[in-house]
Amino acid sequence: MIPLVECFGSHILTLRQLFNFISNIVEGLQLEVTGRTTKCIAEEIQSDVLVVGDYKVVSTSEDDLSVTAKVTSPYGKQLHHLENVHSGQFAFTSKESGKYVACFWLQSAHPNVHLNLALDWKTGVGAKDWESIAKKEKLDGMQLELRQLEEAVGSIHKEMLYLRDREAEMRNLNELTNSRVGWFGIMSLLVCLGVAGWQLWHLKTFFERKKLL
Amino acid sequence: MRIWALLLGIAATALSVCLRTADGLTMTVHKVECVYEEVEYDGDMVYGNFVVQDYEIFWGSDHPGIELVVTGPQGNKVHSSTSKEAEKFEFRAPRRGLYKFCFHNPALAPEDLTFYIHVGHIPGIQDLAQDENLKPVNVKIAQLAEALEAVSAEIRYMQNRDKRHRSTNESTQRRLIAYTVAESVMLLGASIGQVYLIQQLFSKRIGYNRV
Repeated sequence: MIPLVECFGSHILTLRQLFNFISNIVEGLQLEVTGRTTKCIAEEIQSDVLVVGDYKVVSTSEDDLSVTAKVTSPYGKQLHHLENVHSGQFAFTSKESGKYVACFWLQSAHPNVHLNLALDWKTGVGAKDWESIAKKEKLDGMQLELRQLEEAVGSIHKEMLYLRDREAEMRNLNELTNSRVGWFGIMSLLVCLGVAGWQLWHLKTFFERKKLL
Repeated sequence: MRIWALLLGIAATALSVCLRTADGLTMTVHKVECVYEEVEYDGDMVYGNFVVQDYEIFWGSDHPGIELVVTGPQGNKVHSSTSKEAEKFEFRAPRRGLYKFCFHNPALAPEDLTFYIHVGHIPGIQDLAQDENLKPVNVKIAQLAEALEAVSAEIRYMQNRDKRHRSTNESTQRRLIAYTVAESVMLLGASIGQVYLIQQLFSKRIGYNRV
């Protein structure tokens, strides 16, 4: 690994190379939306996380097809709703943690029409506006990338801590279940024995009363 | 000088394509659901994972899992797997183009699937030789970014599996309490019923024994 001291040198790219990078940017997932069905994509997001989404119709089976998009929060609140568009953008900061759903469907109900929709969905570190941060703090290419890596490492650390907490909760739950299995087994056995004893006693007194024993 | 700074900013944003934080996207698979990913360069590494979130499993055989079939831009099958509940996959894309990832659900009930797909590109040695401005440090930084993305993907996979295990454990806890209470109630009911029945039987026949 080249030591970090050498990394902060000036980093000049030619225009041709820049063009190479920019013209080849095709990010994100592509979904196929058909006339009959609604395509929904969801993600579990924590509270207070920046979410940025960008969707664009890439290819259609017929001309003049447009899509309707709807983004809802876990409690059903509508965050974004556009009808009959070819592209759109949405950005929001999640207020509650839960499942955020983005649904797409076509206006026409014909089963044979379909279109490909490119969806770019970024959360957290990837959603930040790095261009304006670079301009504000005057970072050059290398510094900006290292800054992004630093933020990515920070978010990975946070996710690991969250995972550790969840594992601790699950371990407590498992230990509780384990001890409960033991106690409920003993309780079941005692109930069974107790009921059997009561049956014998009750029938004995009953037969003695009826003068059969 | 300012124009250079702006261009550098744009270039850095372009390089950040590989630095998206992990998308753990969820979708419901009824029979077949397909997503597409664009691979920009020949020989790019494509990796990902998926976890089936089963919320209430009664019989394990009813939920065999989800099959993944990856088709290349020329229609050739690049990767396929048998029905699995959770899997990590990785392959090197031979050609650039649009790759189709299809998830098949052999069961009758729709399944919730959480998946993640990442296409990673590292400027290689041939780019270094061609471009005199592409320093080895850029390659190293790109490799570092890719490694961090891989770590992020692993964490997402573990989180999704943890969710699945958690729902199993909570279901076990609920079943334990419900079945124990139901068993006790039924046992009490059956024994009281037995005693009552025997009492009735002997109340009717009491006359015959006297004879």
